[in-house]
Amino acid sequence: MTFGPAVGNVGMYVAREMLVSVPEDQRQAYLRMVEEISDLKYQLGVEVARQLPRLLAEHDPGLVARYLSQVRAVAATGWKSGVEVAKQLPDLYDAPDETLADAYVAIISDATVGPAEDAETSQLSGELDTLERQLREMEPKVKRAQELRTLLAARDRRDEKRRKHAVELASALPPILARLRPRYRPPYLTQVRQVAAADPEASLEAADTLLDLLNGERVSPEGAAEWVERGLEVLERNKEVGRGYFRLGSKYALEVLDELKEGLALKSVARVLKLYATALSGREVAIRGTNELTALEAYGDDHILLPPEMRFFEEDAANFTAYKVATAHGAGRIEFGTYGFSLADIPQTVARLQARYPRP
Amino acid sequence: MAVESQRVEDYRLAKEPYYLPLRNEVELFEAAYHQRLPVMLKGPTGCGKTRFVEHMSWRLERTLVTVACHEDLTASDLVGKYTLRGDETIWQDGPLTTAVKAGGIAYLDEIVEARKDTTVVIHPLTDDRRMLPLEKKGEIVQAPDDFLLVISYNPGYQSVLKDLKHSTKQRFVAIEFDYPPPELEETILKNETGVDDDVASKLVKIAEKVRNLRTHGLEEGVSTRLLVYAGQLIVHGVEPIAACEATICKPITDDLEMQRSIVEIIATQF
Repeated sequence: MTFGPAVGNVGMYVAREMLVSVPEDQRQAYLRMVEEISDLKYQLGVEVARQLPRLLAEHDPGLVARYLSQVRAVAATGWKSGVEVAKQLPDLYDAPDETLADAYVAIISDATVGPAEDAETSQLSGELDTLERQLREMEPKVKRAQELRTLLAARDRRDEKRRKHAVELASALPPILARLRPRYRPPYLTQVRQVAAADPEASLEAADTLLDLLNGERVSPEGAAEWVERGLEVLERNKEVGRGYFRLGSKYALEVLDELKEGLALKSVARVLKLYATALSGREVAIRGTNELTALEAYGDDHILLPPEMRFFEEDAANFTAYKVATAHGAGRIEFGTYGFSLADIPQTVARLQARYPRP
Repeated sequence: MAVESQRVEDYRLAKEPYYLPLRNEVELFEAAYHQRLPVMLKGPTGCGKTRFVEHMSWRLERTLVTVACHEDLTASDLVGKYTLRGDETIWQDGPLTTAVKAGGIAYLDEIVEARKDTTVVIHPLTDDRRMLPLEKKGEIVQAPDDFLLVISYNPGYQSVLKDLKHSTKQRFVAIEFDYPPPELEETILKNETGVDDDVASKLVKIAEKVRNLRTHGLEEGVSTRLLVYAGQLIVHGVEPIAACEATICKPITDDLEMQRSIVEIIATQF
């Protein structure tokens, strides 16, 4: 099937066969009329486009005008009735009785419009309109109430979490304080309090980390205060990242610590020293900090004890060399059995030496 | 149909390769050769297995065909295949066939790396049949008396997925290699690189210490070959610590802490 040109902006197409059936001098008028009627309803335009060629062929402008007027009149009462009337009217125009078409249009118009509205219907309709308007006005308020409900529930959950972590902190703090060297307790408490006020969960992390930092003398109390201050800034921006900072789980936390620390921490070079001592002595060696020293007998003869911080020199490289010297010394003792000596072996050793070097 | 085989003269060693015997490996190899028994060389990387085969090839005056096995090496690559040359289809002998025909030494380096079908091919060569079937050609090549098959094998690398089957292992006379004792390793270094006694001694001490780190994060210790490289760089004028870092430290590990500890060991010596 081929199609003719588009009819205006209605978006409707008139079949080429239909357009060809319209006398050439009336085609423009035909397209314009279809376009105008299509403005009322697309389906009306389609039906009128089908029927008009037949009316135009009679070269009776009055008849066409009457047709369009009656279709419009019925369509004004209901477009579906208008479409049906547009389809039937041309046949009625052919009837011998000329009044038939007018009567048909009047009946269909009345039937579509129905009886005049009564007072009660008008009142109900008006009331409904008012209620619907009020409901529309209430919608933003209902939405806001829902938002507030969600927000408050989240806050409630957060407060619950906060209270839970506060209880955990209450339980964890006394044993930590017992382990902390007395001279560090006052600054420690100030710092933990600052973090706890901001976020009790982060303060649990900070309490542990600060204990290690201060007891291990990895930072001075002033350095620890600076480290906490920077952490609080992070915590303010993002709680999760801040908690990571206080458990030394972020790169930034370690960088800040590195900036504030005094001397070289054993922890940062322990593996290198362990491998170094293992290579030198040919035995598996363990490196331990003197701060871990609680019971000497807990350490085997393959342990090298080193200070947790090396701060003889300003430069880390020189402090590392100091560690290296101490490690090599320890590795030498391990390799040649210094720590393997036992008093219980003395009688056996004396007997062996006596056998080897008998008195003359 | 034309047959193409590589010139066996290409594989004959003109000059004696330096090799310092560590134990009785030369006598063992010679005995195996004269008894026509295939040989398996076991040992860590860079301890002198390949140099030993070269030396024995020169000593026994046999051509040496070495194949560095890899995971894409197939039986066809070893035995030979048909190839198109212009309009003609020609048969091209693989390195193993070339060695068998020439009565030389075929050395399959790191045999476990090759595909499984290669081990099937070498089986008939390793027992009293001493033959190489060329399946695609429908031909059997009988190995002459002076042919010897040698494979190398690094037990340290092997896993469940890559290991020689017992049916293969038990066809070979095994000669085990390890890093040479310190005094011999020093002699090797001086001979191979021209370094003086002091440098040779320090390099060997470094190797000895680094080898202590095997099982502590290092898969293998530093090889004699790497010590030779270090010596060569030092003789060429490279500063000893830099030479050792480039040859002894960086090639054997990517672990930064391990590298640092090795550098400290190097610094202890130089």
